[in-house]
Amino acid sequence: MYIYSGASQPEESSHVDDQEKYEQFMARIEAGEKIEADDWMPDDYRQALIKLISMHGISEIMGALPEKEWVPKAPTLKRKLGIMAKVQDEMGHGQLLLRVAEDLMRPYGKTRGDLMDDLLSGDLKFHNVFHMPTKTWADAGMVGWLVDGAAIISQTNMLDASYGPYQRALQRICQEEVFHAQHGEAIIMALAEGTEHQRQILQESLNRWWSALLMFFGPKSADTTGSSKQDIMIKYRIRKSSNEELRQAFLDKYLPRVFSLGLTVPDETAHYDEEKGEWVYQQPDWNEFKQIIKNKGPRSKERLRLREVAYENNRWVRQALTSEAVGS
Amino acid sequence: MENTNEASFYQEYEVFSKKSVKAPIQHQFSLLAPNEEMALSMAVENFMRREDVLDVWVVKRSNIRAMTSEERMNWTKRLDNKDYRRTKGYGYLRQKWKEKEQGMLDEKEIMSWKEVKKK
Amino acid sequence: MMPVETAEEAKKDATYLKALKDLIYQCADDDFIISFRGSEWLGLAPHIEEDVAFSSITQNTMGHAVMFYSLLEELGEGKADALAHERQPDERRNAVYLEKKNGEGSYLGEPYYDWALTVVRNFLYETFKKVKLKAITNSSYQPLANVAEKVLMEQPYHLSHWRIWVEQLLASTEDARSRLEERLEEAWYAFGDVLELGQYATEMEHFQLMIGEDELKELWLEEVKTTIKDLPNGTPKKQLGSGREGEHTADFDQALEVLSEVYVSDENAIW
Ligand SMILES: [Fe+2]
Ligand SMILES: [Fe+2]
Repeated sequence: MYIYSGASQPEESSHVDDQEKYEQFMARIEAGEKIEADDWMPDDYRQALIKLISMHGISEIMGALPEKEWVPKAPTLKRKLGIMAKVQDEMGHGQLLLRVAEDLMRPYGKTRGDLMDDLLSGDLKFHNVFHMPTKTWADAGMVGWLVDGAAIISQTNMLDASYGPYQRALQRICQEEVFHAQHGEAIIMALAEGTEHQRQILQESLNRWWSALLMFFGPKSADTTGSSKQDIMIKYRIRKSSNEELRQAFLDKYLPRVFSLGLTVPDETAHYDEEKGEWVYQQPDWNEFKQIIKNKGPRSKERLRLREVAYENNRWVRQALTSEAVGS
Repeated sequence: MENTNEASFYQEYEVFSKKSVKAPIQHQFSLLAPNEEMALSMAVENFMRREDVLDVWVVKRSNIRAMTSEERMNWTKRLDNKDYRRTKGYGYLRQKWKEKEQGMLDEKEIMSWKEVKKK
Repeated sequence: MMPVETAEEAKKDATYLKALKDLIYQCADDDFIISFRGSEWLGLAPHIEEDVAFSSITQNTMGHAVMFYSLLEELGEGKADALAHERQPDERRNAVYLEKKNGEGSYLGEPYYDWALTVVRNFLYETFKKVKLKAITNSSYQPLANVAEKVLMEQPYHLSHWRIWVEQLLASTEDARSRLEERLEEAWYAFGDVLELGQYATEMEHFQLMIGEDELKELWLEEVKTTIKDLPNGTPKKQLGSGREGEHTADFDQALEVLSEVYVSDENAIW
């Protein structure tokens, strides 16, 4: 269906042609038009999209794992069903996003299998929060409420993204996130209004997740960790806001709710500065962040191993159904 | 013989189109054409001459594996017991948040997060 | 036998009530344990798209268990959540074959789960469920007949999903075929108790709650044969024991420990 436009262009397309196409491309995205998979696009746009969307997609797939630990353990029938549906959605988000990434990678002849290989070899990274352990049922709630909350902030920010297939996938995803937000709230609310023990595991969980949540949006500027893709994302209208703006929006939306439940955050300096109109907080350890996303986080190895065993152990199934014997 | 040849002129194509940048591809109707090039070049004026169209797909009907009528009957019924995966099942939270002087995160609220304060 | 319309009516005859409850426990516990095994697979299936589809089937099936537990709740057996999470192994009526682990390892680490077992087990079970529920639609206990009717609305999709997997894998590589055949062979040693109705089988038939075991077995086998031509000989044995009589294996203990871990961690909690 999609023909990679590059392939049908004359090989020796001149620099002038490219310049013209580039200007046309920029004019289109500035006018709010959407770029489709087979449209001409600058190379760094394609590269940035592949990197962003494959990481986003694989993070959904890896993100299913920490929460999934609690799926068979969920404490009631309704919670078992709810968290199952929620984690299923996350796998579904992975499916949508990987399809978008796969279409972008077609000109390079790469497929789903290559993405899985890249993940297992460490070339394709997944989000910092999904390298963290989950220790109690409260963590299942914390992931649903605040990790999804952070994800919602960053995903809604790209709902107007210039790349059509990504924008449409995000539209579907954000619709489902409304359920995720409420699923998370429901678990948290029951714990917050529950027994001593329930309130205790809830507070402990928040203490455990706090710095990972701050890290979620990435460092304020490139100098912190030496790499940041935020500028190109904004230039090409993939997202609108900076890392820090997103983190502030997250704190805006969630901290009042956190406090209203009688919970505290493990940072005594955290407060809203009325004058500056922003939240003041202690920076998380960005060196630790760098280690985590290099697959050197607390649970990185185990999660990758889980994915690897499941992937390799089921290879025979995929091989069986590629054989000529089946259908057409 | 001649008759058979002519019969093969009439191939069935299903036509899909897209109205706006944000709209999904939507089924329009079907038409007869001898091949996909012809089908595509006739499709727009047959079905979308009064509307915007940004993209068109034609798919040979024989390439579509649709549900059979039996499958439609057997595979599409769902029980109405899945509130656990719908926001409907969590509506009670609104009151709980209200008691804490906070709003619930509903669709309207979440979709409004698209706009973020500039620094 | 006059139809019994309500739980109150059913409670009037002690023998009727015993047989009825046993039958519902079997339905509820079967759906619950197989959906528990399904929930362990989430995120680990051979293919992302399949993972999503499989999970909907698992959720539906657990939803069916909830419907059956709710019938028991009406009959005074206690809350559905307590029935699912608190009962001891000897009180459980699910078939032993359905509690068997998905394979080696665990979903938390080294999950060497076997897709062939999952395909064979779910196909055989969904075929059985269809036959059993069809018979139950004629049950003298109306609330149960109604639930069976409802469940049968969405269950055909489940059966056809697993039938496609069976057909395609059997028709694929030598490797896949032999993996499936091995699991079929195994099922012929262990599926036996799925097809049984337990200690009140005679009463169930007598009170027209359900058809007899022999008929059930026959209908099941016929239906299975329409998909798999080369079946092992005879009818399945029950070498792992009979869950219908409350016998269970170490695999069940593992399931119970996991599924009730949070539930039992705080007795006073509302979750
Ligand atoms: Fe997601
Ligand atoms: Fe989510």
